[in-house]
Amino acid sequence: MNLLRSILLLIILIIPVKANTIYNIIKIPNLEIYEINTKNKLKYFYAAAPFRLGTQKNIVCSNPNKKDLEIKYKTIYKNLSRYSYNYLKKINLKYIVMCENLSISELYTAGIPDNIMKTLILDIKFNGDYFERVIHHEVFHIIYLQHKKIFNDEEWFRFNNSKFQYAKCSTCTKKIGLDTYDKTKGFFSEYSMSTAPEDMAEVYSHMMYLKKNEIDQIRKLDPILNNKISYIENKIKQIDSSFIFND
Amino acid sequence: MIKKIKASASERFILILLILLGITTFGTYFVIKNECIFVKNFNPKKINFKKPNNIAILNAPCGNVIIELYPDVSPNAVRRFITLIKSNAYENIAFHRVIKNQLIQAGDLEFGKKGSLDYGKIGTGKSGLGTIKSEINNNFNYTKGSVGLARTFKSDTEDSQFFIILQDEPLYEGEYTPVGKVLYGIKVLEKIKYQRNSEYVLRPDFINSFIMLNK
Repeated sequence: MNLLRSILLLIILIIPVKANTIYNIIKIPNLEIYEINTKNKLKYFYAAAPFRLGTQKNIVCSNPNKKDLEIKYKTIYKNLSRYSYNYLKKINLKYIVMCENLSISELYTAGIPDNIMKTLILDIKFNGDYFERVIHHEVFHIIYLQHKKIFNDEEWFRFNNSKFQYAKCSTCTKKIGLDTYDKTKGFFSEYSMSTAPEDMAEVYSHMMYLKKNEIDQIRKLDPILNNKISYIENKIKQIDSSFIFND
Repeated sequence: MIKKIKASASERFILILLILLGITTFGTYFVIKNECIFVKNFNPKKINFKKPNNIAILNAPCGNVIIELYPDVSPNAVRRFITLIKSNAYENIAFHRVIKNQLIQAGDLEFGKKGSLDYGKIGTGKSGLGTIKSEINNNFNYTKGSVGLARTFKSDTEDSQFFIILQDEPLYEGEYTPVGKVLYGIKVLEKIKYQRNSEYVLRPDFINSFIMLNK
C-alpha cells in the first residue's frame, strides 16, 4: 500500500502543471479564448493546437486556419446569438469550441455536444452549404441530452408511416445526405431517416433555419412533418415558454 | 623586534571589500530565510469595516488574510463557510493545491489535516456535512482575490474546499460559487508554498487559524 502511495506521489510530482483555466473547466486541452464577452454569455474558444479527447482518445480535432476561423466565427456567432442567456442556461450550453476536421473514431462529424461540460465542439470546416443549419442541429443534441426525460423516441417514431424503420444508430446507415428534400414526405433530409434523435435534430434545425412562411407551407403539405414540428415546438415550450423559433 | 608593516591602500581596500561581502552574505541569508520579511501583516482590529459581521480572518504563515464574505450573493455557500470557520474546522488544514500567481486551494478537512495528510487522496476529502447546491446565478466578477467554493467537475458538489484566485479569472464567472473577496493580505497568499512542477504541494503550508472577526 505504501509503495503504491509512493508511486502515486512520484507521478503527481512528475506531472507538469496544467495551469490552464480553460482545461480546468471543460477538460479540453490546447484551447485559447476567441471571445468571451458576448451578450448571451456564450464563451468561444478555438484550438490553438490539435487535441485528443475521451477515454480512448478517439475524439480528434485540429487547430483551424486563422482566416477560416475569422469567417466561420461570424456565422457561428450570428446563429448562436439568436439564443438568449436564459435559454442557454436552461439547455446547459455555455462553451463553444471551434476546431477543424473533427472526428470520432475516425468518422468525421460536424459537432460533438457535451451537456455535462456545457460544451459544443464545432468543426468549422464542415460542409459550408449546411453549416448554419448544422449549428442548430448540434444545439438540439445538447437540448435532447439535457432534457432526455421530455423527449420520447417511441412517441416520435409513431409519427412515421407504419412500415418505416430507423437505422440502429446514426453511423449505421449510408443515409447521411443533408440536402433538404423538395418533397418532404415526413422527413426534411435523408439524414433524418437515420435515428429518432437525428430526425428531431433535423426538424429543430429546419425550424430555426427556414422562414416562418416556409415552415407553414411545409406544415400544410406534409401531415407527418406537421406533427413532428408541433411536437418539437411543444417540447421546447416546456423548456422555455418564451422561446420563438422564427418570426 | 617585530617590525610593524603598514597595509597598503589596495590591501585596505580588499579588506573593506571582504568585510562588506561578509555582511551582505549574512544579511541576504537571513532575508531569504525569512520569506515573510517584506509582507505586511494586517491587524483587523485597526481597520474599520462596513460590515464587520461578514469579515473572516485567515492566518497563514506570512500573516493575516482579511476576507469579506458575501451572503447576499451566495447565501447557502456563505452559511456553510461560516459554519466551518466557527467550528475551527479549517485550523491546521493544508493549502494543498497552489498554482503560482494563479490560485491557492485549501479546505480538505478529511485528507488535508496537519499530522495526518494523505497525499494520495488530498483534494478529494469531505467535511461530513454533505454537499451543497452551486450558487452561480448572481453576477459576480472573479477578480484577483476572489474566494470561491471548489467542486468536482459536476455542479452541486460544493462542500468545504475553497480557493482564492491570485489573478483575474473571468471564465470562473457562472462556473464556481463565490463566497467573498480578499480585502487585505493578498501578498500573504502569494507567499504560500508551491511546487514548480505540480499543482499539488509536497509538505504544504497550513492555515494557522480561520476565524470570524465578530465571533
